[in-house]
Amino acid sequence: MGTEAVGPTPEQKMQWEEEGYVVLENALHGAQLQRLQAAFDKATVECKEDWLQRVARGEAQPTFFDIPDPLERDEIFVDIVDHPSWFGLLQDFTGGETLFLGPQVRSVPVWPVSYTGWHPDVPLSNPLHIKVQIYVEDVSKNSGEFAFVPGSHRAGSGPYARPKLGESMPGHRRLPGRAGTAIVFNSYGWHTAMDNATTTPRRSIILIYEKRTPEKVRPDAFKAIARLCTTPERRALFGMEV
Amino acid sequence: MVRIDAHLHVFAKASDQFPRTATDLAPGAREESVEKFLNCMEKHAIDQAMLVQLGGAQIGEHAYLQHCLKTYSDRFLGIGLIPSDCPDPKSHMDRLAEGGGIVGFRLGTLGGPRDPFAPVDVRTLESYPIWRHAAERDYVLWLYLRAADAHLTAYLVEAFPQVRVVFNHLGICPGEGKFRIDEHGRPRIETPSYNPSQHTVYRLARYENVAVLLSGQYAFAKEDYPYGDLMGWHRTLYNDFGPDRLMWASDAPWIYEKPGYGPLTELIDALLPQISQSEKAAIMGGTAQRFLRFPQRP
Repeated sequence: MGTEAVGPTPEQKMQWEEEGYVVLENALHGAQLQRLQAAFDKATVECKEDWLQRVARGEAQPTFFDIPDPLERDEIFVDIVDHPSWFGLLQDFTGGETLFLGPQVRSVPVWPVSYTGWHPDVPLSNPLHIKVQIYVEDVSKNSGEFAFVPGSHRAGSGPYARPKLGESMPGHRRLPGRAGTAIVFNSYGWHTAMDNATTTPRRSIILIYEKRTPEKVRPDAFKAIARLCTTPERRALFGMEV
Repeated sequence: MVRIDAHLHVFAKASDQFPRTATDLAPGAREESVEKFLNCMEKHAIDQAMLVQLGGAQIGEHAYLQHCLKTYSDRFLGIGLIPSDCPDPKSHMDRLAEGGGIVGFRLGTLGGPRDPFAPVDVRTLESYPIWRHAAERDYVLWLYLRAADAHLTAYLVEAFPQVRVVFNHLGICPGEGKFRIDEHGRPRIETPSYNPSQHTVYRLARYENVAVLLSGQYAFAKEDYPYGDLMGWHRTLYNDFGPDRLMWASDAPWIYEKPGYGPLTELIDALLPQISQSEKAAIMGGTAQRFLRFPQRP
């Protein structure tokens, strides 16, 4: 997969550096998107009852549903980790040292409040931390879309308050999109999911990456999919080689 | 500044005068009297408190609570219980409240779909009549919900913005099968370190009618007093709700032996060391006085 990837355009590179995110429309499309949607549906059916029981036991959140161990359920979830639509960008942003930390194959039910508030994921002292949010279905405005505060990833920006209403965050940008849209964002930056005022749950996949450091390499973390990691590039991405 | 313990239990031995349901936690022969608690209040400069019914939800089982509220009317307010099979919850609520003192009711379930993806019409929830009546009569709702119902609260809070809602014990919603009695005779609730309420109860901070009790730490913590492993939860609650919607409480009598009532009155210093004196004063009583409308004492 990685060999097909291309780096960012100058415009994308500038937006990444200045604003902290890049939107890739149509990053997944056609048969591949359909296959991803089907795999998402199948895994949801397989796992939902177990999730409901974990919710009742207080072991899982009721306000979002993550498919457990998705990489082991369908190869499509592995294939998107180094998908050429964004992997070239990741490699450019990390200086060729992209390390995959994990996926979140996430369904977010309709709820009066967004399941999360404005937050950065990691402090600036953390190695560069990048997420790719992929919309599996269309995500319109006011339907739990991802939102980001442009420039909030940079040192010296802010300080940022934590407004209780998502739309109260100064300078934020909502990023609705069609199914197959991918949003690459710097996790130092402030982001959230907006309220969902529709009747449709939001379905997306969040892929989590970091610039490789020895502390974060866990050679056994993805051993269950080792058979799918046959190239040096992929083994490096999944941290299978120190 | 007034100091208020916003949640504790007192109960008499089970008797004809004070009937109550015996439990493993509170056997019929056990007594945790209001006089014992008054001594604690005196010793630790606590002015007032919220007495929360324990020992059954029937009207008659509230006799000791009502006795305490009547005897020490300037000291205490009370929270009653509603039987799960109550045919007429409105009448039950009014009968308990009519003597004065009982200002609200504690709920453990809301009665709705277990699947968070299912559409919710609040009017179909089993607890809807209770919420509607609380709105009509200005009763407080005191929530210690099972985990399976945590996602339903937002719909009701949004539907009834005039109802004052108090989440018990750090907003935790206990999971099914997670309750036991520990070696000190206290409730113990196994709870993940990654607090599930962060994405449910804590998200309700936007609603001004919602407050949270800083209490029950002993039941959730993996460390002994002062429960340092729960500092992050307290910091999050402080950031989300602020001192004007947080209330300290002891959850006596379970803490009388360990760690003791005195240490509990100092717990906020340990778990929220960064707050100002005025913020601490709010958490230790000012918020409860305003939010729960405790009477001014002479």
